[in-house]
Amino acid sequence: MAFSSTLIFSPHLPHSKLPLPPCLSRKFRFLSSPLHCASSGAFTTLASSSSLLSPMSSFDLRSYWTSMISLIQSELDAAIPIAHPERIYKAMRYSVLSDGAKRASPIMCIAACELVGGDRSAAFPTACALEMVHAASLIHDDLPCMDGAPLRRGRPSNHAVFGVEIALLAGDALFPLAFRHIVGRTPSLVPPATVLRVIAEIARTVGSTGMAAGQMLDLLPDAGIQAREPADVMLVLEKKFGELAETSALCGGLLGGANAEETAALRRYGRAVGVLYEVVDDILMEQRGAGSNGHSGKMKSNASVVGALGMDRAMEIVDELKEKAKKELKYLGDKFGDGVLPLCGFVDYAVERGFVVEAVGRT
Amino acid sequence: MACFTLVPSTLSGACALLSSPSSFRSPLPAMAALRRPFLTYPSAAAIAKAVEKKSTPSAAAATEVAVEFDFKGYMLGKAESVNRALDRAVPLTHPKLIHEAMRHCLLAGGKRVRPVLCIAACEIVGGDEALAMPPACAVEMIHTMSLVHDDLPFMDNDGLRRGKPACHVVYGEPVTVLAGDALLAHSFGHIADTANYPSAVSPALLVRAIAELSRCIGSEGLVAGQVVDMESTGIEETVALDRLEYIHLHKTASLLEGAVVIGAIVGGGSDGEIDRLRRYAQCIGLLFQVVDDILDVTKSSEELGKTAGKDLVSDKTTYPKLIGLEKSRKLAEELLRDAKSQLEGFDPAKTAPLIHLANYIAYRQK
Repeated sequence: MAFSSTLIFSPHLPHSKLPLPPCLSRKFRFLSSPLHCASSGAFTTLASSSSLLSPMSSFDLRSYWTSMISLIQSELDAAIPIAHPERIYKAMRYSVLSDGAKRASPIMCIAACELVGGDRSAAFPTACALEMVHAASLIHDDLPCMDGAPLRRGRPSNHAVFGVEIALLAGDALFPLAFRHIVGRTPSLVPPATVLRVIAEIARTVGSTGMAAGQMLDLLPDAGIQAREPADVMLVLEKKFGELAETSALCGGLLGGANAEETAALRRYGRAVGVLYEVVDDILMEQRGAGSNGHSGKMKSNASVVGALGMDRAMEIVDELKEKAKKELKYLGDKFGDGVLPLCGFVDYAVERGFVVEAVGRT
Repeated sequence: MACFTLVPSTLSGACALLSSPSSFRSPLPAMAALRRPFLTYPSAAAIAKAVEKKSTPSAAAATEVAVEFDFKGYMLGKAESVNRALDRAVPLTHPKLIHEAMRHCLLAGGKRVRPVLCIAACEIVGGDEALAMPPACAVEMIHTMSLVHDDLPFMDNDGLRRGKPACHVVYGEPVTVLAGDALLAHSFGHIADTANYPSAVSPALLVRAIAELSRCIGSEGLVAGQVVDMESTGIEETVALDRLEYIHLHKTASLLEGAVVIGAIVGGGSDGEIDRLRRYAQCIGLLFQVVDDILDVTKSSEELGKTAGKDLVSDKTTYPKLIGLEKSRKLAEELLRDAKSQLEGFDPAKTAPLIHLANYIAYRQK
């Protein structure tokens, strides 16, 4: 699984480490990308879809991503020192600092901040906080009374190591720690009003109308909501996966000083990419046959897009979401130029990574 | 009796913990300015004397000023405002189930001691009720969330809460876990949203309040207390006094501290005022538990409205067990006196609610 263990970038992808040709007009770059892929339903269509970036302008997302991961890792490490009572800190660290975490949310947050001209130091604490609230949700999601997943990222889940009581409390402690990290570490160049806005957005994202709602709809299809209905399946994906990516991009923009139009574009972009990633996952899962994403570093979705809507429709949705993301990227690219490349990379990555990895392994 | 020799160590234990920077203080630079040593405790002899006189002259004077104060009316009035605000803060929106569960827990009644403390602290430094209402609601959401998670079958396994079926009994465990998480997240969103305040409020003050609250309820506060409490139950040896105090200071006092401190912050209190109110809250937090332990051995189940002597049966370490009933009572007197002494620097006309709250906690019969 891509958002799970290590970063796997296929050698087939045209990601070179060459510097960008400065002469390339950003307008042409977008127009020259044959983004649209046919929605015939054949899985090969997905494979043949070209990169959002033309080969000439390829941005080395992998380098950007991996260099950022170590910075995030060390900030998270420092944010959760082992203190008394040790067991709770160890449990928190176990989930937040787990090896191989890809840190997609924090990196999108930082990329969005840099895109709009912000200093990355403004976004780092929030980026780490996003990872903390994400980890908290995952710990609770794995509890025996929830999904009961014994494994997470290929190793025992938090409750299997520390017990259910500590796992519940570790999640409960990570939420406030995340907010504390934002208010305590965000540099003073960010106005307090922006810090408040970021906190309110993250609270909404993980709360009863965001990720928690998605988890509930997903876990309890009988509780008045049939989460296997097509519309509900998409709602689950939007809530469980779209919201976090949306907030990651949005908060990065806010911290970087984006204006209302820019934050709105980042919000729509983030949501589209978050859902896109999950729909592609679903398609890959279907191809693979067995739905065993218990090893994943992200949340498991019981609702399957392919199952509810069929493969053809799922492929169409991939196209639609790519179009949505592309539209926002066009706007942002016109405004900020090459700064938009990391965000473009995310869209490519969401579509192509898993497939290529999977295709190589399958045949 | 052996417990007599424990008296000085009892008080020095309480003193050491309350003043210890490591047990309570935030490493956040912004909070460092607030650090002042806890007021030195008087000697054992001085305490004994004070207890003999029942109260110190200053506390007596403060009580006289407040004698006309309608405490019950104040509590009921504030609780009603808090209930209305909570009802608005968590509307029954889509998806219904999780919001129903949140409201089931949050609107189940209760004395709303924590939000009232928050409002009273805001008022004592010159702020008004409406200004403190979002933080007050946030504190009650957090308190509710901790109870809701505590009652889960794999935690304390309690089927009843405030006389009503616990959340997990009605809505099941998954919804209960999520409703608790949602209340916790919502509490921060509620404080941070400036639209919830009656008029312009300083974002810098709200940021500071959020820093305080998050420290008080996380792994340095409430959760730390829950973990150490969990690790202390079911073990053979008696829990030491300093450990008992650690549990109570974190499990109970730290959320009271959070309530009072954030109320004072949004009310525009000075660092000195915030510091005194913080110590007031720590004292009444510990006082609450000492009194709880005393009531458990002195009252019948009928009087308490819950099972009496439960602590004895369950081998739980309590103050009477550790230092004896008399010394526990003396400790309670001392904590009450100390809590009230923190209020002496404030406008006497505004101290009544907090003085009465301390008295209420000390002299309650159940």
